Amino acid sequence: MQPYELPLSAAADAIRARQLSPVELADSVLERIGEVEPHLQAYVTVTAEHARRAAREAEGDIAAGRYRGPLHGIPMALKDLIDVAGTATSAGSRVRANHRAQADSAVAARLAAAGAVLVGKTHTHEFAYGLTTPQTHNAWNTGRIAGGSSGGSAVAVAAGAATFALGTDTGGSIRVPAALNGVVGLKPTYGLVPRHGVTPLSWSLDHVGPITRTVKDAALVLTALAGHDPRDPASLATPAVDYRPGAGADLTGLRIGVPRTYYFDHVDAEVEAATRRAIGRLQSLGARLVEVGIPMTRYIRATQWGLMVPEATAYHENTLRTVPELYQADVRILLEAGELMPAGDYLRAQRARTLMRQEWARMLEEVDLIVAPTVPATAVEAGQESITWADGTVEGVSDAYVRLSSPANITGLPSLSVPVGHDAAGLPIGMQLLGRPLEESVLLRVGHAYEQTRPARELAPTT
Amino acid sequence: MSSVELTPLEAARWAARVGLPLPADRYAVVATTARHIHSVVAVLRELDFADTPPAPAYRAEQENHDAAV
Repeated sequence: MQPYELPLSAAADAIRARQLSPVELADSVLERIGEVEPHLQAYVTVTAEHARRAAREAEGDIAAGRYRGPLHGIPMALKDLIDVAGTATSAGSRVRANHRAQADSAVAARLAAAGAVLVGKTHTHEFAYGLTTPQTHNAWNTGRIAGGSSGGSAVAVAAGAATFALGTDTGGSIRVPAALNGVVGLKPTYGLVPRHGVTPLSWSLDHVGPITRTVKDAALVLTALAGHDPRDPASLATPAVDYRPGAGADLTGLRIGVPRTYYFDHVDAEVEAATRRAIGRLQSLGARLVEVGIPMTRYIRATQWGLMVPEATAYHENTLRTVPELYQADVRILLEAGELMPAGDYLRAQRARTLMRQEWARMLEEVDLIVAPTVPATAVEAGQESITWADGTVEGVSDAYVRLSSPANITGLPSLSVPVGHDAAGLPIGMQLLGRPLEESVLLRVGHAYEQTRPARELAPTT
Repeated sequence: MSSVELTPLEAARWAARVGLPLPADRYAVVATTARHIHSVVAVLRELDFADTPPAPAYRAEQENHDAAV
């Protein structure tokens, strides 16, 4: 096994035991990037020189007894919406040509302090306003979409071109590409991970979180990321938590909500079957399954759009007037049309969010978490614009991919996407676990228990 | 198109009023997209919000479990 193939937790164990040097690991990951990038195009920028220097420093520190923890010497990628001092944050847009970040974002600073080694910045759908990331190819089939908007991050992790990565998630942008590329994605509780220095799409829906090979890896990264930062007005003052799940896989007593509405409607048969098989495994580990009715489903899409569209337009107000021609066509039209949304529609969406949060809180008194597919279909062909369901209904690709993930953005609840198999074409399928606010530990425990019932996951067969 | 739906010229006037002068070749596409967005968000008018306040900024952990009281 080559070092780039190691999941974070295994690499960390090997580094701590001095069986693996951070320099060997960084070199292996950089070599892997060189192999797969021509096929995948996950990266905007590869910071090879920086990575080798940081890896040498990590090696020296660890040899001198200054081991900082499980991220020390681990190669990581950051979505190119996340500021790193002295480098460009392109946001996937020509609007950001010649950009240079003056300072580290809160998350980049925390990961640097934990000793993680930046290997590069990954592609995003332009300003995170889309679900495909057209610059990047799916790690399992280069003719398929990467998913988005954190497509580069998910593809890099799936292919072994980063040991972990960060993404952002406004309607599903961590979990959608994670599901479509067979990796783990965690959207934490709103406010748990500070967003200072991360380019916003929609302030009241935006989250930052990890994309990793395993659930345990996601727990290690979240432990380094979580915690208050007064520079993000939504940041929560929470105590430090070690999110690493325990070794046990016993779920006895846990009440798992299985939706009887919404989450299995207009879902591909293979996706539904794989999710229900995974739910069966959770039951066999001792969990009790409880059917739940998802509240206010008719208003989910309207609330998501009512919040996201005017907030995104507000952020881009100046550049939409000065350099509109620099935006891609799909993003420009949404920003322009967003200018025409009355404030009443925005306030109605804000009030609907209040109602939805109350209803989800009631539902989560009856169960400890909800399980559902992450996305209703596996990765579609690049360029495909719609999905036709069995009953003849036609749905836009982006609408379909965001449909099951956006409730967690509206409510701020944590959601973890875990790979649960592949369809007949060999494309990955994801299951999401949704929990109560700040109960990431429950989701990570259940996801980790599920992973222990499965053989170790392999990297995408990218050549 | 129903009589209450936005026409390309109205889209152009609305955009101009908010300080976004559109080139003429954008009128129709902006109107079409604005109509689509409107059709999506308009269903929220069905809800009876009573005294429900908006949630423009909120603390996810401060759930009100007695919201119905």
